[in-house]
Amino acid sequence: MLELQLLLGGLQNGALYALTAAGFALIFGATKVFHVAHGATFTLAGYVFIGAWNAGWHPVLGVLAAMAAAVAFGIAMERFVYRPIGRHEGGFFTVFVAAFGVSIVVQNLIAMVAGRGFANVDSPLSMASEVLPELFLAPVFWISIVAAVAMFLALTLFLSRHPAGVALRALAQNADLLRAYGLSSSKLSILAFALGSVLAAPAAILTAMTSGINEAVGNHVMLISMAATIVGGVGSLRGAALAGLLLGVAEAVVLTVLDTQWAEGASFMVLFAFILFRPSGMFGAAVAR
Amino acid sequence: MNSTRRLLLGSALAAPFAAPALAQNDPYVIGTLFPMSGPNAEYGTVFTQGAQLAIQHIEADRMLRRPIRLQAEDTQALPQQGVIGMQKLVNVDRAVFTLVGFTAVSKAVAPIGDRAQSVMVNGGAVGPDLAGLSPYFWNVIPLAHLETRALLPYLSQERRVRRVALVYVDDPLGDAILSELRQQLPRVNAELVGSFSIPRTAQQFGPIAARVRQARPDAVYIASFGAQQAQIIKGLRDNGVSTLLCSYSAMGLDSVRTLAEAEGLVFTSQKMDFEGGDALTRRFATDFNARFSKTPTIYNANYYNAVRLFGLLAQGIEQAGGTVNGESLRAALLARRRFDLVGGPGEFDDQGNMMAAIEVLEYRGGRTQRLVG
Repeated sequence: MLELQLLLGGLQNGALYALTAAGFALIFGATKVFHVAHGATFTLAGYVFIGAWNAGWHPVLGVLAAMAAAVAFGIAMERFVYRPIGRHEGGFFTVFVAAFGVSIVVQNLIAMVAGRGFANVDSPLSMASEVLPELFLAPVFWISIVAAVAMFLALTLFLSRHPAGVALRALAQNADLLRAYGLSSSKLSILAFALGSVLAAPAAILTAMTSGINEAVGNHVMLISMAATIVGGVGSLRGAALAGLLLGVAEAVVLTVLDTQWAEGASFMVLFAFILFRPSGMFGAAVAR
Repeated sequence: MNSTRRLLLGSALAAPFAAPALAQNDPYVIGTLFPMSGPNAEYGTVFTQGAQLAIQHIEADRMLRRPIRLQAEDTQALPQQGVIGMQKLVNVDRAVFTLVGFTAVSKAVAPIGDRAQSVMVNGGAVGPDLAGLSPYFWNVIPLAHLETRALLPYLSQERRVRRVALVYVDDPLGDAILSELRQQLPRVNAELVGSFSIPRTAQQFGPIAARVRQARPDAVYIASFGAQQAQIIKGLRDNGVSTLLCSYSAMGLDSVRTLAEAEGLVFTSQKMDFEGGDALTRRFATDFNARFSKTPTIYNANYYNAVRLFGLLAQGIEQAGGTVNGESLRAALLARRRFDLVGGPGEFDDQGNMMAAIEVLEYRGGRTQRLVG
């Protein structure tokens, strides 16, 4: 039963990793911006929800506020950080350092406003009960799975059916051609940032409910997102989502055979394995040199 | 022209003598090596508040002829950052006294302070091997082995605990607690039925809770710190670990006390009575509450005591006409040994460790209740 318990726990974490990683992959795939501040989006959304919860708001309003904060931050990053850097033809490292700097600023601002240290949502939804002998599940398990599936379905439908979604996919494949057809790549970039950021919000809310967060949680989120993006195949949304799920499951299931110390290491063993044996990731296309 | 040249020459010759005169008015630099960012930043704030209030009192009481300047370096509770900060404090800021916390950071910076003969005082870390790190490394907090030795008899006799599982962070503090439990549990007719090491960066504890449940312990000892310890408590409780949780003084944080899942948590701490204590303790508690709008914790008191200790030692050195430096501070400590500090008189041994009574506490309804001590 331990194996099943670990598998289900891994699926719950993996669903949250998948949401965050897919957001990062969507932004990176469409705009080619290495959005390191995606972790800050996660942190911000989590703290906005906690603030709304503590203020006694209805949970739905809290979720909407967290999503709005995530989208606003993502768009602000695109408009006020990445676009000016792009205009001056700043390279990868300029973007990386700028985004990293913003993450630190956000981290410190959150600490100043919300206080340093652990913060969480005190909800009975995270309290597990014994559903079978030695098998404990909390309502938040089902919420995580349903939220992840619903978000991915909605995103898939948007990207495949809606003209803006199709244009976004075109932007990811060939931005020059897109502009030649008279479409605005800057508007689509904003859309990519908005969609990518909103995916982080449910993950942040559910993390605040299950394990709690702190102002520095974004660093860990970014590590997982980057690993999932590489394992899934750079630029592949479904790859990042599946890889996020895989990393979450690997982190938990590895405890059946290895010491607890290795839980996080398992994620990166998966990453190394892909880098060594399938550098293009699960769904990435090999590029000839 | 001649007079100008003579003036310049005279000024140049006098410069070496003028410099010490200016230095006489320079503030004493007390360095702090605390985590001011990252998941352990809550401690940095708590530690600093105690030091700030002590400086306020030293200045109000006109204890010293020179002011004190607090120079903060952010360690993020990481040894590497601690070493960089300590190098700057002793070589650039010329700190004569540095406040440190966290076992791994303390062990990393101790050789630097030792070489520079700069005093380091720990009021937050409890790794047993912090005793005797250096003649210039002092502790104003009882170390973990004293805490576990106070807790285990209580668990055994009062709570009938026979099987203990340990969830411990993979660093010198966690290793020290593991070693201590292995040695001490058999002495109270109990055993360690599982030890679960976790990295400092771990944030998900659902899978670990499943492993802990399998060990079927009567109590789970948590040896971690910062945001992680609250995450462990929540992770264990939310995932079906309903057994007694216990720990050490690091749990004395508001974020843990107010956590619903921490209800019933048993932990050890220094014994300190902020309300019914002596005049010094009451003054500390009153002024702390006035300045920071909250009740002080043990950590606030420890770092207050560390800075007050500096004030008392430096005062004695100044009155004797000496120079305040690491060597003179150490000599003054060993000569006097006993000091009036918050919580009562503090007495130091040859290694610079302060003796203190330990109490066993429990969180009930978001409040701290004394069980033993």
